[in-house]
Amino acid sequence: MPLTPSPRARAAANNSPFTPPRTTRHHDPEWHIERKPTKSGSLQAAFEALKVSAASKARAPNPHPKTASSPKSNIATRTPLRLDLGVSEWALTGTGTTIGQSPVKKRGGKATKTTIRVNGDRFIPTRSASSPTTTSKIDRPVSRPNSQASGNRPGSSTGRPIPADNTVLRGGVFGSDEDTNASSHSLGDDSEPISYERPNPESLAYQSSVAAACGVDLSTRILAFKPAAPESSKPIDLRTQYNRPLKPVASAAQFRRRILTAPERVLDAPGLVDDYYLNLLDWSSGNQVAIGLERNVYVWNAESGTVSQLLETSPDTYVSSVKWSADGAYVAVGVSTGDVQIWDVEDQTKLRTMSSHESRVGVMSWNKAILSTGARSGSIYNHDVRIADHKIAELNGHTSEVCGLEWRSDGAMLASGGNDNLVNIWDARSLTTPKWTKTNHKAAVKALAWCPWQLNLLASGGGNYDGCIHFWNSTTGARVNSIDAGSQVTSLKWSTSYRELVSCHGLPDNQLTVWSYPTLVRNVEIPAHETRILHSALSPDGQTLATCASDENLKFWKLFEKRAGGAGNSRSGTGSGKGVGMSKQMTIR
Amino acid sequence: MASEKPKSSKASKAPKDGDRVHKLSLKGSAKLVAEFFEYSIHTILYQRGVYPTEDFTVVKKYGLSMLVSADDQVKAYIKKMMSQLNKWTLGGKVSKLVVVITSKDTGENLERWQFDVQLMGKAAKAKAAADAAGKENPSSNAEVAPPPKEKTEKEIQEEIRSLFRQITASVTFLPMLDSRCTFNVLVYADGDAEVPMDWGDSDAKEIQGGEKVTLRSWGTANHRVDTLVSYKLQD
Repeated sequence: MPLTPSPRARAAANNSPFTPPRTTRHHDPEWHIERKPTKSGSLQAAFEALKVSAASKARAPNPHPKTASSPKSNIATRTPLRLDLGVSEWALTGTGTTIGQSPVKKRGGKATKTTIRVNGDRFIPTRSASSPTTTSKIDRPVSRPNSQASGNRPGSSTGRPIPADNTVLRGGVFGSDEDTNASSHSLGDDSEPISYERPNPESLAYQSSVAAACGVDLSTRILAFKPAAPESSKPIDLRTQYNRPLKPVASAAQFRRRILTAPERVLDAPGLVDDYYLNLLDWSSGNQVAIGLERNVYVWNAESGTVSQLLETSPDTYVSSVKWSADGAYVAVGVSTGDVQIWDVEDQTKLRTMSSHESRVGVMSWNKAILSTGARSGSIYNHDVRIADHKIAELNGHTSEVCGLEWRSDGAMLASGGNDNLVNIWDARSLTTPKWTKTNHKAAVKALAWCPWQLNLLASGGGNYDGCIHFWNSTTGARVNSIDAGSQVTSLKWSTSYRELVSCHGLPDNQLTVWSYPTLVRNVEIPAHETRILHSALSPDGQTLATCASDENLKFWKLFEKRAGGAGNSRSGTGSGKGVGMSKQMTIR
Repeated sequence: MASEKPKSSKASKAPKDGDRVHKLSLKGSAKLVAEFFEYSIHTILYQRGVYPTEDFTVVKKYGLSMLVSADDQVKAYIKKMMSQLNKWTLGGKVSKLVVVITSKDTGENLERWQFDVQLMGKAAKAKAAADAAGKENPSSNAEVAPPPKEKTEKEIQEEIRSLFRQITASVTFLPMLDSRCTFNVLVYADGDAEVPMDWGDSDAKEIQGGEKVTLRSWGTANHRVDTLVSYKLQD
């Protein structure tokens, strides 16, 4: 038996023979329309359809008394009705022959496939309203067809409250003309191409009312801005939202490190030559400070606070530069004649004198056993201090006095700066020409410093008319950052424990400035000396900076004090030792 | 923007002022609407905690302290959005702007701020069309079309200010947004509007079974903006 489908279908079949229901059917298109707008609409429609089906059944002259009785109160009797109809169908099939309406029966049988009840009835009034002219072709055929065919169609449509129904319905409509069977097919005909009916005025009105109800305007498109909104930086607790101070707390200041702005110690440095191009101060890894004062070099032991005179050069000369070797055992001393002396500090003996430069040696830098020296002539020589023929390389990149010279900690690169406003970066493997020559500075470049935590980063500072600090990537040669410090940069030192560097300046403020890197925020500015700061040196533990100026003071600044609970005990020994030493008041000389 | 500060103080209700307002061009009016959109978005993002409080800075606008995002990404995002929105608004292509707040965890739409824009001329046209169809069109479009009343800039500002006050106040009845949220902007544009790549068709992102609250309206002689917030009722 094809009765498996729901009884409603059969009911629909039953109804089909009757003309009245058919006519109603006609309006299906409209109710497709109403469904289109929104899902909710379709649901509603489906719901109404339910009622309708009941009503239609009621109208249809049903052979069965029960159905006939139901008509008035559709809703109340809805469910029972269907059941009854099902029963009646049974009766029909059973008594098929007796009824004598064989076509009806057949249809019913086929209709069973379509598990739907009739809904079209509800729209009867609208149907009449829709004139043939306004309605589409699709509509017209429907109005004509036999009652039977139409009966099936509406049923099918009602069965599915989904938007897809539209097509189904229409398919059914077409089918109705040809054959009743077609109606059953129509169910599967969703894919059948159907032209949209031209909406009649009422349907339009209905559309718009539905649209309005759903807040949708059919003549418009809803467009979304497709890119996803940026993520919020952190989870948000709305509770904090309503307790907000009008001005945000200065969080940056809160986290800024406190830096002591008073010198920890001041020593006299009488006779310090006021010459920007010299380098007369250095702090050894053995915690000794060497300073060149006119013809003398003094060594101040930071741990014991004792001071000793290391050497005195011959008359009519002066010390132009001092530099400790990496192990802190030897100090190289450049002399105004162009000689370079190597001294053993512990024995206080001169180990050798290397003569090669014709002019004063203003700057030196050690790379293991190699000492690079820069002279007033603009030439840079590399000396191997271990061998007799000490001069192993000539670096010709400057045309004027070399005043800045700094080996990178790994010895792979050498940076030099000169009075010709150039910064040269040399590759240790090929010293014939500089790897990079930078012309950005507008004044002599004395201040050079390699970043301890990013090997290829070099900071350079220009003189009076420049006042800029540039940061270079020594691998690519690119300038990665710049600061306009506003005054002569005489020295630059990176902190070893903070992401900071300190710059020493000349007029007008003779200040020390501590910068954060890479933010380049000015952390603190200390008016350090009464005259321009000439030289600076960082203690081996990286906490203290020594500066000397032409005001003949040597000052010690604890700029990079280790955090209270901080690690770094390896250095604490020297640190504390130094502290003890510093507690004694000492003067050089 | 024409509606800014010093003028309005001078303005009050002098007939001369009325004249000037009357001349507030359609373009100026549209600009006002577009600007209003931008501030609305910022305000909603702030008030509903879509982005952290610290990301916002105070600016004076409409005689209020408005909070606008200072986060570069958010600013860039809104700027990009506004650049197109301005074009549409000036062209009268926008009928609604919707800010939808969506839960990041569930993807559920939690809140929907809808700004209905009526172009007065357009509304009248729509109504005419509806009449021609022989049916009273009940949609909000045709329904409210009071004769374009001249308003002073001061009055307009006052209306906008009242609305922003209401938006701010609405956090008292809107449910807490507990989960992490993001937002999306929808524009109901005319079918013939040009649509750049960044914009695509969307559903209405309605709040299913949500509560709706209508807020104040404001308008110029050319535009009228109605505001509606719908939100998900808490279980």
